[in-house]
Amino acid sequence: MTTASDAGQRPWLSRLRGSNNEGILALTILVLCVGVGVVEPSFWSVRTMLNVASNSMTNVIFAMGVLIVIISGGIDVSFMAIGIFCGYSVIVLTNETGFGASSAPVGFVLAAVIGVALGVLNAAAIAGLHLPTLIVTLGTQGIIRGAMLAYVGSKVIPDYPEGLDKLSTNYLVTATGTSSTRLSVLIVPAVLICVLVSLLLRYTMVGRGIYAVGGDAESARRAGFPVVGIQFFIYLFAGLLAGVAGLIHVTRVRLANPYELVGGELDVIAAVVLGGASIFGGKGSVSGTVLGVVLISLIRNSLILLGVPGSWQRAAVGLLLIVGVGAQALSARSRRTSADLVAEGAPA
Amino acid sequence: MSDGAGRTGVSDPTARLVQRMLVERGVVRLASIALVVLVIFSLASGNFFSIINFQSMGFQVAEIGLLSLAIALTMLTGGIDLSIVSIANIAAIVTAQLFMSAGSGTASGSSSVVMTVGFIAVGVAAGTACGALNGLLITRLRITPILATLGTLQLLNGVAIVWTGGRAIYGMPESFLNIGTGFVAGVPAPVVVLLLAAVGTAVFVNRTGMGLRIKLVGANPTAARYSGLNNDRVLMRTYLMSAFLSSLAGILIAARSASANADYGASYVLLAIVIVVLGGVNPMGGSGTVTGVVLSAFVLQMVASGFNMVGFNSFLYQIAQGVILIGVLGLSTITQRYDLRSALRMRSGRDVDGAPSEQLPAALGPPVPPREREHEQ
Repeated sequence: MTTASDAGQRPWLSRLRGSNNEGILALTILVLCVGVGVVEPSFWSVRTMLNVASNSMTNVIFAMGVLIVIISGGIDVSFMAIGIFCGYSVIVLTNETGFGASSAPVGFVLAAVIGVALGVLNAAAIAGLHLPTLIVTLGTQGIIRGAMLAYVGSKVIPDYPEGLDKLSTNYLVTATGTSSTRLSVLIVPAVLICVLVSLLLRYTMVGRGIYAVGGDAESARRAGFPVVGIQFFIYLFAGLLAGVAGLIHVTRVRLANPYELVGGELDVIAAVVLGGASIFGGKGSVSGTVLGVVLISLIRNSLILLGVPGSWQRAAVGLLLIVGVGAQALSARSRRTSADLVAEGAPA
Repeated sequence: MSDGAGRTGVSDPTARLVQRMLVERGVVRLASIALVVLVIFSLASGNFFSIINFQSMGFQVAEIGLLSLAIALTMLTGGIDLSIVSIANIAAIVTAQLFMSAGSGTASGSSSVVMTVGFIAVGVAAGTACGALNGLLITRLRITPILATLGTLQLLNGVAIVWTGGRAIYGMPESFLNIGTGFVAGVPAPVVVLLLAAVGTAVFVNRTGMGLRIKLVGANPTAARYSGLNNDRVLMRTYLMSAFLSSLAGILIAARSASANADYGASYVLLAIVIVVLGGVNPMGGSGTVTGVVLSAFVLQMVASGFNMVGFNSFLYQIAQGVILIGVLGLSTITQRYDLRSALRMRSGRDVDGAPSEQLPAALGPPVPPREREHEQ
């Protein structure tokens, strides 16, 4: 009576479960919502929804970059440094030169370009020199953050250029209540990016190449995938996403603080891994990742709502990561065992 | 400290000598780097070459040196321990909490010494127990070391924050603080602790069966298993040992700063990895020397103090860490590939230099991160 044989008899169940356990994740979220809602009825409100959406907005874009890197078999800890470098630099740059100050899109193009440029550092060391990804991105994290603080600036900037200033107060939805909760219009690009990455991974040659490289780089190479080119694309694209996410974050909080973001990498990596992406590469999905980000944001939100002190949040996310990854590792092992049984001709 | 010799069981004496020299070459290269750094900063700043500066560097190098040894051990097995700083803080907090609840700030004499030794032992034991958690996650649940220790990093740090409420704990007696601030024959006490721990680790790695097994598991886990090694037990011991060394670092931190804090030393993880890689430990596992790690800890401490004295800010030191990490690793990869190619040319008598890199045999091609090796069936 293993899960695999159950799913074999009932294909709809395996479809519902999803190839990366997205179904289980969605179920967890649902149970969590119902549980917290029973204890604290004020949980069921538009406000909670908007809060969770607002808090996931930037992390979900960062997570898309991390997802691509993890699918390719790597790990990235430099994306937060790239993000804050881009966000902060764009504010500094437009404030000082006045270039594109009145237009927010120019700022985002700028952030994307800087992000890609910083991504070259990772790409060159990983694809060019074949160094381990964790160590390379640890190194570039230090370089990028140090360079920003040493050369771009180390002061918190409250003054924004006109274009970004307007954008930061542009809300899509406003829920009024005891205190009004608002959802920034920046959720739109975040959703668009998720759709785009999903299409890229599913329907393009590069996207399939990313899975192939993550599954087995040598096989991908023999199958004719340009492995080095794909790796370059991965780290440049991750840089681009991090740059955009960084500027969205800086715009949304309306205070350009260069000391922010770095140190929050784990939340995003945890979300991606919880979302079913395998650290060994070759596995992962956009929908799972989005659910993972939402779950972590939801847990943080409900801890506050349930009156648990903020100091517990760190431990809770750590525990969630261990439990999630442990459960995946265990289920991978049991699936392997049942596959062995099938291979040996045992009744399924 | 040559640990290259017996590893592959080479019988040919010349080959053994060559292997020994290769290992020594790394240490010799590091020692010359240390000398160059020393000369540069001595020339750049008049205060650098002074007993006071060396003593102040000694106080700082000990804790990061211990943390580096902790990571080095796990890297020998091809894993990594990112939770070292959280474990160090747990050990420090447990010890400090014991002192605080015993109200021992006023105690004196021999009872104070006994208390200090006892409380340190409890703190180190608590930290080491956290290492058992890492070991269990990695060997029982088969979570990759990166993810397992990333999780415990967060979890243990969270527990420490909840425990202390985010505040620092004070109130340790003089006998405890002496460990972090005292001198033994003019040498800072923390350096003595570091050197004792380094010698212990070196003996463990080079002269015991478990040390050899650690390197074998790191070099090739599958081969190690087929040779009858109990990989899980080896990994478990490695992470226990790593946590033990981290806990010692935590005790030194608490004794030096006279307080214990949940968020102390968050930037140490990157620095420790830089030190270990600069020290010549292969991040893929299998090879590395304790001497190299300790030497490179001293080199980076000199760079840090030197930067400080010359008037560079700490951000530039952060950049330097990253550049050193990627530079050293990149350089060693390039030279290694060159060595392999020339070795192949000698054996086959063919010129492979002209061949495009895509045509190289798998062994010389892009080294696919062998992380997937670790947990294959």
